[in-house]
Amino acid sequence: MELAELKEIAAYTLSCLKKYGADDAQCKVRFSDVDEINVDAGEFSLMRSTFDSSVTMKVIKDSKKGVIAINKTDKESIDAAAKECVANAEVSAVDDCLSIAEKEENEDFSYGVAESDRDKFFEKIREYMVDLKNDYPKVFVEQLIANYSEATSVFANTNGVEFSYRTAYYSMGSMYSAHDGDKTTSFNSTGIDFTDLDKKILDMGTQRMMYELCEKELDAVPFEGKFTGTAVFAPSCLGDVIATAIDNFTGDEAIIDSTSPWRHSLGQKVASDALTVSLIPIDDRVIGGERYTAEGYKTKNCDIIKNGVLENFTLSEYAAKKSGEKRCSTLSGCMEVKAGDTPYADLLKKIDKGILVCRMSGGSPASNGDFSAVAKNSFLIENGKITKPISETMISGNLAEMLQNITDISRETAEDGSCVLPWVAFNGVTVSGK
Amino acid sequence: MLHDKIKDLVNGVPEYTELRAQVNTNYGISIVSGNLVGNSRATSSGVSARVYKNGVYGFSSMGDDSEESAKNVLRAAKENALFLDGKVKKGKPGLYESPIADFTERHDFIDVPQKTILDYARETDDYIQNKYPDLASRSVMIRCDSIERLLHVSTGSFAHTISPRACLYVSMTAEATDGTNVELFDVMECGRGYFTELFHDPSELYEKIDTLHEKLMAKRDGVFSEAGVCDCIIDSSIAGMIAHEAVGHTVEADLVMAGSVAASRLGQQVASDKITIIDFAHTAFGKPVPLPVYVDDEGTPCEDAVLIENGILTGYMNNKESAVHFGMKPCGNARAYEFSDEPLIRMRNTAILPGKDKLEDMIASIDNGYYLTRTQNGQADTTGEFMFGITMGYEIKNGKLGRAIRDTTISGVAFEMLKTVDMLSDEISWASSGYCGKKQPMPVSDGGPAVKCKINIGGR
Repeated sequence: MELAELKEIAAYTLSCLKKYGADDAQCKVRFSDVDEINVDAGEFSLMRSTFDSSVTMKVIKDSKKGVIAINKTDKESIDAAAKECVANAEVSAVDDCLSIAEKEENEDFSYGVAESDRDKFFEKIREYMVDLKNDYPKVFVEQLIANYSEATSVFANTNGVEFSYRTAYYSMGSMYSAHDGDKTTSFNSTGIDFTDLDKKILDMGTQRMMYELCEKELDAVPFEGKFTGTAVFAPSCLGDVIATAIDNFTGDEAIIDSTSPWRHSLGQKVASDALTVSLIPIDDRVIGGERYTAEGYKTKNCDIIKNGVLENFTLSEYAAKKSGEKRCSTLSGCMEVKAGDTPYADLLKKIDKGILVCRMSGGSPASNGDFSAVAKNSFLIENGKITKPISETMISGNLAEMLQNITDISRETAEDGSCVLPWVAFNGVTVSGK
Repeated sequence: MLHDKIKDLVNGVPEYTELRAQVNTNYGISIVSGNLVGNSRATSSGVSARVYKNGVYGFSSMGDDSEESAKNVLRAAKENALFLDGKVKKGKPGLYESPIADFTERHDFIDVPQKTILDYARETDDYIQNKYPDLASRSVMIRCDSIERLLHVSTGSFAHTISPRACLYVSMTAEATDGTNVELFDVMECGRGYFTELFHDPSELYEKIDTLHEKLMAKRDGVFSEAGVCDCIIDSSIAGMIAHEAVGHTVEADLVMAGSVAASRLGQQVASDKITIIDFAHTAFGKPVPLPVYVDDEGTPCEDAVLIENGILTGYMNNKESAVHFGMKPCGNARAYEFSDEPLIRMRNTAILPGKDKLEDMIASIDNGYYLTRTQNGQADTTGEFMFGITMGYEIKNGKLGRAIRDTTISGVAFEMLKTVDMLSDEISWASSGYCGKKQPMPVSDGGPAVKCKINIGGR
């Protein structure tokens, strides 16, 4: 569907919402075509193509809000949904903090390839499977999902805001484990977004290192005992750890509820000097990213923690108004943890006793940051060296305290098209086994 | 919904073909500390087709309900199957020939007004605020989902089903004397049906809300558990989650083929002989299960899948393709979440069967251990290694319940932990408020009795 048609649908949606009595209204219209190739248990299994559309609308009437999402774009469906959306707002609760985005300069954005090459894409995935088998023969792909996704969205509101963004790129995600006779490892996963079909997919990001470690995990033994030491989080799980901490301490609910230990820490030191965490949806290393926010503002990259100091909360405009704080200029998941000065090999050498954690299996931490999780795909570090793979190992600590106990950040980073992450060593983490 | 005329598009086609029209609706209300932060309704509908060819599938979907779209997705799915077959030439045999289903479920769609749901949530929140004003925070959340689908398979199978579900959750946070916040979350009510069929007056929840608050106060004054392997009684919600996460996933045939721990254990003793685990289709113990499934998305009439019987691993959950691979019978485990999703092997209502013991006798049998009553999350590996967060529990000292404990975790390896089970309570209870995640979400339920076992518990 052409961009002009999407804009017409967006304009029609706003007109319907106004017609039914909205004071303020916004909508997002999105079309996407996805070609997906699946591999299951090491064999190609499915070719899937989907054609999706959606219209999401929000209205504010008498300081009350309603939200509706449908996947139809014909006028009759939009009209009916708009009527229901306003009706929902009418029965909702008065909240003076509701708003829609203010007008900025409208803009059309585009990113990615002009069109898909389905044959070449399939052959790249086949090449990937062959490369994997040759280079890491004990690794078995439990499931691989590769897709080419082309999507165009238009955001518009009754303040005159209108942004559009077309993205078109490839993605590949693999869930795998290693097997050798009766020996088997935990599963792990890796993924990458990309636009270049000429490069070998296996050479992208840190996949080779991940697969190499996976084969070594075949000799994992249950960890016995307990110690408090250094945990090195690999990029494959660092992103989750940092994102969880950021959401737990700076997100909407934690700030509105004042349950965050960082509620009054803006401008203050909350982490080691070495730590800088930024949201970077507009960056050459990021595939796709974000150009306008879910609320309809033009996206800007944002530092959350800079040299250990809390620079921004990650608040929506609603939560910002509710708490009297500032809206974050992006809530994208594209994140960079700034690289340090220490080569990864040297980072390990400094550790007397610790653990290299490649994946964590656990639930949400408590609001104060207390957490415990099983360290998956992980290795014991002793006297500066990775000595053995371990299983049935639990790690626990407090996220807020961990961020203040960073001893080292690697010079090397891993890029997966979404995040840029180094290896980070945290002190004071409790490691326990049977 | 598309009318029966789409049947003519599928009947008699030479390739194995599924054609499905489906509508998913989701309503949500979320009130956090009195603020209405979520008030949304979403509907998605469309058609999809899947075609099998020599060991590969082609699939296509469109978010449009017209007959023309049905023809388009059939054409695209066939092209996709031919594309992939042409590339990989697996040359595998045809699919398992399940009995022909012809099933229509009687449950009229009820379009519950948002105001009805919202008023109920508000009144519930008002009760909590007025009765417990000292809470640090509180939230009331309502989630309603409904899936209606019309399925035609080239084998002649037909199903028209509708599966509504409504759930209300409450979370409370209190400040403890050490300055930390202590939280507790629970499902107040959840089941199959539209909101107005399950929820009538908020006062019907007050007793459960009071109990939740009482537990929160006990937890606020609670102690940290002592780390290590010890005797524990895990309550039904945790037992059900172990049945689902730590056992169920490892015996899904696609994960068995991918190398799960169950791949080499068929016919072996993997649990105490007291343990029997069944993935129920629609009826258990003479009653409908929480989320009954009568015909799956491959058109297979659903039956119970016995996974472990008296401690022996007896079977896997299959789709038509894996059933041929393993020489087993598919029991109707192929399920798709939205119209745009292909069927995957999924659980339905997975439970550990109850035993003959009384809970009080089980508690009395432990000198030093824990009674763990609530989990909020859990994850398991294809190796059977699992980890669950425990949000409520009590010490057991000298056969009696003691102090409440703060949040902790339990972990273990399913087939090792289940061998330590020596008592099972004589009652089963079910949890049906969750989604299982496996490429697509899926409403599932799980259940079990209270289970006495040895398990590794975390501590500070």
